[in-house]
Amino acid sequence: MTGHRQVRFGLAIPPTGINRWSWRHTDGPPDASVNLAFFREIALRAEAAKIDFLFVADGLIVSRRSPPHFLNRFEPLTILSSLAAITQRIGVVGTVTTSFADPFTVARQFASLDALSGGRAGWNLVTGDVADAAENFTDARYPPHDERYAIADEHLDVVQGLWDSWEDDAFMYDRERHVFADTSKLHTLDHRGLHFRVKGPLALQRSPQGQPVIFQAGASDVGRAFAARRADAIFSVSPDIGAAKAYYADIHRLAVAAGRAPEHAPLIFPAMGAIVGGSIEEAERKYRDLLAQPTVAEAVAQLGWAFSNHDFSQYDPDAPFPDLGDVGHDAARSTSDLIKRTAREEGLTLAQTAMRFSSPQQRFVGAPETIADTIQQWVDERASDGFMLAFTSREEVADFLEQVIPVLVARGVFRANYEQDTLRGHLGRAVPINRHGD
Amino acid sequence: MNDRRQIRFGLAVPGSGINKWSWRHTSAPPDASVNFAYYRQLAQEAEAAKLDFLFMADGVIVERASPPHFLNRLEPLTALAALAAVTSKIGVVGTVATSFADPYTVARQFASLDKLSEGRAGWNLVTGDVAAAAENFTDLPYLPHDERYRVAEEHLAVVQGLWDSWEDDAFVYDKAQRIFADTSKLHTLDHRGEHFRVKGPLALQRSAQGQPVIFQAGQSEVGRDFAARHAGGIFAVGQTIENAKAYYADIKRRARAFGRSGPAPLIFPGMGAIIGGTIEEAERKLKAALEQPTLEEAIAFLSPAFNNHDFSRYDPDAPFPDVDAGEEASRGYSETIRRVAREEGLTLRETAQRFANPQSRFVGTPETVADEVQRWFEEEAVDGFILGVSGREEFTDFLGEVLPILRRRGLFREDYEHDTLRGHLGLDIPENRYAAGAVEAVA
Repeated sequence: MTGHRQVRFGLAIPPTGINRWSWRHTDGPPDASVNLAFFREIALRAEAAKIDFLFVADGLIVSRRSPPHFLNRFEPLTILSSLAAITQRIGVVGTVTTSFADPFTVARQFASLDALSGGRAGWNLVTGDVADAAENFTDARYPPHDERYAIADEHLDVVQGLWDSWEDDAFMYDRERHVFADTSKLHTLDHRGLHFRVKGPLALQRSPQGQPVIFQAGASDVGRAFAARRADAIFSVSPDIGAAKAYYADIHRLAVAAGRAPEHAPLIFPAMGAIVGGSIEEAERKYRDLLAQPTVAEAVAQLGWAFSNHDFSQYDPDAPFPDLGDVGHDAARSTSDLIKRTAREEGLTLAQTAMRFSSPQQRFVGAPETIADTIQQWVDERASDGFMLAFTSREEVADFLEQVIPVLVARGVFRANYEQDTLRGHLGRAVPINRHGD
Repeated sequence: MNDRRQIRFGLAVPGSGINKWSWRHTSAPPDASVNFAYYRQLAQEAEAAKLDFLFMADGVIVERASPPHFLNRLEPLTALAALAAVTSKIGVVGTVATSFADPYTVARQFASLDKLSEGRAGWNLVTGDVAAAAENFTDLPYLPHDERYRVAEEHLAVVQGLWDSWEDDAFVYDKAQRIFADTSKLHTLDHRGEHFRVKGPLALQRSAQGQPVIFQAGQSEVGRDFAARHAGGIFAVGQTIENAKAYYADIKRRARAFGRSGPAPLIFPGMGAIIGGTIEEAERKLKAALEQPTLEEAIAFLSPAFNNHDFSRYDPDAPFPDVDAGEEASRGYSETIRRVAREEGLTLRETAQRFANPQSRFVGTPETVADEVQRWFEEEAVDGFILGVSGREEFTDFLGEVLPILRRRGLFREDYEHDTLRGHLGLDIPENRYAAGAVEAVA
């Protein structure tokens, strides 16, 4: 043991980026978002590098202005099931929104993914997308931000309640005595709440990890409180280590205030990219090339995703970043607030802001050892428990897995081999006790 | 390749059994319904035998009295997506009820399955036949039988409309000109109907087969019309070759009346097969199979088809009681049971034992079973069968001993000649409704 904290990694798949231009600059296939062979290749590379989990993000709307990945992509639960079938150990985590999916179906499909993967499933619970998504669901309404969290709270109660329908020792398989299962250990939830009425039970036993792992990405006050109380892990976006440490401390404070033991506070995974070079200079050259990929018009258009698809093309790109009022407040609030604040504090024009945030997540740039140093610093100083790796090309994935991971393994801060079979095992989270158990 | 019409086979992936006793008598693992390694092995064996598709049935309720497979099973879309990743040719077909799933989510998940399997997906559309299931879905009204079909009609129209959101030639990937896609070929459905309002579009292009194949199992008048109009394949119930032929003729007539040409809908009754080296051995196996359930288990097995009616209150040796299944039950199957019991003058015990075993069961040597399969096929009682085997052994026997005979007779493929499910079944790729010069798309 080195005295350093262990690092954990998720990998967003496919590594296409969510911008309008990276597809032109990658050696990956242009149809990467709907190409199972490409997903398979990346998943197997990630598993060979002993990454904790694969992550498939999601969204429910598309328009003619959407970036390529959003125009045409797999649905998370189906593609994760495919990936689970061709891997053995790596976790499979996907986004589903509580606003537009029945808790019974969410519970069932994640339980099924968890069963067929042998306990490797995780649900990234999001409360919404953009208001337009409601138009795809008859009679669905899109409640305001804070109310969505109240609904999500109850939704998650129902889902986790259904997951415990069967006690773990219910299945006897006693052929002699004609006892398939002890059905006194099947429990009907009979939930009747403010937003949902769901009877149950769910006809699916718990997996070796008990229940799928709950991921969340709360950044607003209400979102942080929710995540601190209920998530096993959090996806965050932090512009620098200072902001990340403040967020980390805040989540831990909220978790303890909600009655969780400090060691049970959610694991925090900031989004991170990495530009790896043989030397610092090479890495910085690669990074400049990357920032030069979009045209100004593309970068300006790209900003819209964090602002409910607000159309920024109406503004003068060389004027100061516009005053948007509440635009963005009801969608990806944490990211839109960060962009607004940065533009204001640094006095940026719209074009400058757009180019700066054309790649919104934190990027570590440098030689493998330098990047490994930075990763260790973040983890040791409790800015994070690991990172959600978000790459925009096959080369970035290969560089990180083949050059940075071995340095971390050699330093004893990342696993050389999987020591566990389940996602909870990889993450060091306890198997939740069934509420109906003794 | 000969031009002869060929028999097609789907495999209803057998789990721990839809009766209460078969798990005690098979070499399959008792947790088969949740054992992905077992499913993978079956799927790969079915693909090696060149079967047309795997089928996963479904239901969303469970109670303590449910049979083993219903107590604990994988969900079809996730399990089929997993199976698609470990196979490359065989179709993957699953049940989803229109009453309990948003059309947008159904369209998206099946489109995703279709794309990742490169055109091998099929949706068995059921309307959702048990009132108790609605209690798992907040605010869902439980509709009467015929009304459910009207909702299903609109649901399917939305799903198929969303599937056509992208025209097939929209993705140009022109790096030099910075054109990823021609977004003028992305179409917003904007459906506003009696039951659904769904804007779209769906962010998923069509697969190599255009759209997933629609399967249906309509038995009632309304159900038959629905299936004849929309289905690519029908899961039928055929107890005898005579009523199977009548059903076949009726569906094909209705389909023509709806203006359909070509082979669709293909008709697939369920079948089991008990194979022996001799007729006597096969009959011994059948007798053993009939003796697997206790009388209590066999009688209880009738109940789901009759809206969970409790048959234990009747004298097992009196004539089969005149029980009305009610408007809401799965009418087709209960009517078949009542008719057979009436026509053959069966007692409750005899009826229970008869229907405790899969329908259309063929019993005999590999040659006599192949003869029967051929006769049903050539006399236009079926286009193929869904193998509803109740254990590992029946599956192995049928694939290993009966299929080779059908192959030698030129009635079943030696190898896959296509890559998609529509290809295997001989169904046309539906034209995209938005493509230039498109005529109205059909299933």
